[in-house]
Amino acid sequence: MFKELNPLLHSELRLGIMSILISVEEADFVYIREKTGATAGNISVQIEKLSEAGYIEISKGFLGKRTRTVCKITQKGVNAFEEYVEALKSYLDIKGR
Amino acid sequence: MEEKNLTEKASLELISQMITSSRRKLEDGNGISFLIWGYTTFAISLAVYYFINATGDYHYNYLWFLTPVIGYIGMAVSKRDKTKHAGHAMNFIERTIGNIWMVIGIAAFLTSVGASFVRFPILSVMLLLLGIGTTITGLTIKFKPVIISGFIGMLSCAVPFFMKGYEQILVFGFICLIMMVIPGHILNYQGRKRHV
Repeated sequence: MFKELNPLLHSELRLGIMSILISVEEADFVYIREKTGATAGNISVQIEKLSEAGYIEISKGFLGKRTRTVCKITQKGVNAFEEYVEALKSYLDIKGR
Repeated sequence: MEEKNLTEKASLELISQMITSSRRKLEDGNGISFLIWGYTTFAISLAVYYFINATGDYHYNYLWFLTPVIGYIGMAVSKRDKTKHAGHAMNFIERTIGNIWMVIGIAAFLTSVGASFVRFPILSVMLLLLGIGTTITGLTIKFKPVIISGFIGMLSCAVPFFMKGYEQILVFGFICLIMMVIPGHILNYQGRKRHV
């Protein structure tokens, strides 16, 4: 039976951001922009949505005189990501462990 | 990348692509650290040897304390430049390597301070510490040239025991060059090759 795909993660940019954050402990805004190739404005909107859902934590600091935004995935985000991958497997008929 | 829905297959491909890309990026950062510390240690070794040889004044040994100063400034500048252009991400491996070198740095500093008061084969201890750090880093990032050079460093800690006089400073500098600079260049070369 097909599991429902989390609509918050079933979008290209948000899934890209979550995939980056699942593989590192933390990543800054510039790194995410470089990896996804998306515009700064679009990334800001999407990380705000992920933050509101409690999937990521955002902290702001300074690098020299410039502000630096750092994103980190939360346990809730990890769980949601794992559930999303499990749901994907049901669609693609991949057997879990 | 945009705000749009994906097919299930495209989602899995995207996840795989992003994870692989992030992992490679983090492996690439280690070469520059070896180069900064390797060249700094080598240059300070030459300076200490030159001044002591020229003047006979052993107080020039205090120049060793410039190593952490120059090294940390170099690391900070390198990190700032890299972060400004490509951003920065920290993973478990990078944090572990950072912690290992922080502990080794503290141990090396305390040992150096101790050597100011009590005579003991400080260069051998330093080679052992640097060799341990290099080997663990190589094992952690699974990169053979770094593992081999680390072991060479650890084995060569015996060399200063068999030498008398200030020539052992020169030998120490050259061992650091072999142990850190060569693997640093190999790491950078591998990193560049991955991006071509």
